[in-house]
Amino acid sequence: MISEAFIPAVASLGSVALALGLIIFYVSKKFHVEEDPTVVIINDILPGVNCGACGYPSCGQFAEVLVETKDSSMSCPVGGADLAAQLSATLGITMAEPQPITAVVLCQGDNDTARETAEYYGIQDCWAATQTYAGPKQCRYSCIGLGSCIAFCDFGAMHLENGLIVIDKDLCTGCGACIPSCPTGVLVMQEKKAERYYIACNSHDKGAATKKACDAGCIACQKCVKVCDDDAIVIENFLARIIQEKCTACGKCIEVCPTKVNCIRLEHDLKEVKQKKAS
Amino acid sequence: MKTFKTGGIHPPESKFTENIPIEVMPVPAELAISLNQHLGKPAKPLVKVGSEVKKGQLIGDADGFISAKVHASTSGKVKAVKPHPHPGGQYAVTVFITADGQDEWEEGLNTEPVDWHGFSKEEIVGKIKDAGIVGMGGAGFPTNVKLSPPPDKQIDTIILNGAECEPFLTADHRLMLESPQEVIEGLEIIASLFGAQAKAYIGIESNKKDAIETLSRLASSKGIEVVSLKTKYPQGAEKQLINAITGRTIEQGELPFDKGCLVQNIGTAVAIYEAVCKNKPLVDRIVTVSGLEIGKPKNIRAVIGTSFRDVSRFCGDLKDSTNQIISGGPMMGKALFTLDVPVVKTTSGILFINNTGIEKARERTCIRCSKCVDVCPQGLAPWLLANVAQFREFDEIQLLGLANCTECGSCTYVCPSKRELVHWIKYAKALVNNRQKRKSA
Ligand code: SF4
Ligand code: SF4
Ligand code: SF4
Ligand code: SF4
Repeated sequence: MISEAFIPAVASLGSVALALGLIIFYVSKKFHVEEDPTVVIINDILPGVNCGACGYPSCGQFAEVLVETKDSSMSCPVGGADLAAQLSATLGITMAEPQPITAVVLCQGDNDTARETAEYYGIQDCWAATQTYAGPKQCRYSCIGLGSCIAFCDFGAMHLENGLIVIDKDLCTGCGACIPSCPTGVLVMQEKKAERYYIACNSHDKGAATKKACDAGCIACQKCVKVCDDDAIVIENFLARIIQEKCTACGKCIEVCPTKVNCIRLEHDLKEVKQKKAS
Repeated sequence: MKTFKTGGIHPPESKFTENIPIEVMPVPAELAISLNQHLGKPAKPLVKVGSEVKKGQLIGDADGFISAKVHASTSGKVKAVKPHPHPGGQYAVTVFITADGQDEWEEGLNTEPVDWHGFSKEEIVGKIKDAGIVGMGGAGFPTNVKLSPPPDKQIDTIILNGAECEPFLTADHRLMLESPQEVIEGLEIIASLFGAQAKAYIGIESNKKDAIETLSRLASSKGIEVVSLKTKYPQGAEKQLINAITGRTIEQGELPFDKGCLVQNIGTAVAIYEAVCKNKPLVDRIVTVSGLEIGKPKNIRAVIGTSFRDVSRFCGDLKDSTNQIISGGPMMGKALFTLDVPVVKTTSGILFINNTGIEKARERTCIRCSKCVDVCPQGLAPWLLANVAQFREFDEIQLLGLANCTECGSCTYVCPSKRELVHWIKYAKALVNNRQKRKSA
């Protein structure tokens, strides 16, 4: 049996609820904001990782600005050509195709090739290690190998292997979030190409010092510069660099490089080939 | 006995070298003179490979307002100018000089002492600037800049820092005992820049009774007060010393001159005396060489640029059991990876340590014992700073007073969980800096 006192309680609470409900109904009608359906559609197509590579803080803001300005030069490097095509179709404009780029590690100094200076037993983080010199490796330009950058990659494209960071080229979207997270600056963005040669070293030490510190270091011997018919290799401050626009991928340089572990690397069809010469 | 209000610890003093007189170390065959021996921009090199230099000749010029001059510390020939490890934990452009063995001063330098009372303020500050003097206690702030506070700041208290609170170090202690006259004159020169209303103090920890006596005897007639301070770390940190002697507190974002104070180190005072009265640039300093792993612990007077390797040879070589070499004191010094680093203007000590048995890299979780909070002289919550740093919350960490941490190391010293508290704090500072640099770029 329901007690007598129960009825007024239910009635009063019920009427309060009804009144509040009416207010909410009125407010939602009165202040209704028309959401542009195109923005919603575009937002759905975008990768939705909010990595910031497009220059906007989130995918949502990129969508809003894009719909408003219809600026065809805006691009999302993560979505690549496929996304550009989809956006073009939805908006009825021709979006610029983003140049595919990828993060590259300019270092091959792993636990076997690079020599260490001291035993480091502090906090296991690259920035913490650089509080005393450039970390435990002798070469101060190297990948420290404690993986500070990994947390910055939203796409799981980075991992450590034998004391060196490795980027999975199939997973890397080229968002660039990892670049500023590295204290020694061995991460750079480079254009993706089917076949691409590059110097995987970052050391500006003189040849002798580099050789002492690492088996895979560029010693600035000039051999590759001389053999290149296309003048695509330059040496700046004791470090060779291959100018990608000039390189025809003939592969002559990789033959002459005298370092124990070749510091010139070939990236084949976006899959890495580790060029270890028999020493 | 006076002391600072908040926190502090008392590590074993280990002052093995306090009764060993300063020994002059001969100039080695080769010197490596770093162009970055001060806070601020490194000096610009003025010499090239092959240049002949005289002792005291200017080889690096101050680059900008906060920078300092660097001089050759012996006569000889420049062998190289290149980056080289620096005892502060980074690499810096360094001038290598092959000594010619003559150790010949440049004309007009290191003369017979003259009376400084005739010099104007500008002349005194100019001489200090030309001598390349920087704070020799460790921070290396250019002294001429520190001695020229903005005109709206009234300096009424000048403190000479003879606390030397770091364990092992005795360089300032020996200097106070062996050159008390120069210490006092240096302080008088500093005080003369701020007029009669400025009161001068010398703060000395009570474990240096002989220094307190020696200086008190000389100081009383000059209106200088020698203050005996409780032996407690970090008594010699600028903010703590001011608090101990005047009771004033330097708040976050404030500098000592905001509270009318100016602190100088003992070594700096002597360097100021030598620069003003003898026209002698800063080319040598007192270094304590200590630790259980060095053959003969000593206090030495070494020229700037002497390599740690030569120093260790001069002091009876290090034992095979050495596994850590520290530049500076054990609390705030830097561990080195090589002996090929030079003595710089801020090198107060070199320690040779065997730390086997001390637990390494076994950080455990915080047990909320609050010991770190109790000892933090800056009134921070180190456990919280470290936690927030670990989670990379770099906006929050600044609100918790990150910039206020003086990196004294007291918190790490007491933590029963062996947490690397200061290291986490330094890590956060490095990343906050990096973010700001990127934002402004
Ligand atoms: S790439 Fe840079 S951040 Fe990543 S592990 Fe190497 S040094 Fe550390
Ligand atoms: S490695 Fe990761 S963070 Fe770096 S560019 Fe590629 S996807 Fe972005
Ligand atoms: S290192 Fe910083 S946080 Fe730790 S006790 Fe010293 S001032 Fe406080
Ligand atoms: S001393 Fe260590 S364990 Fe104790 S509260 Fe601080 S961080 Fe935590």
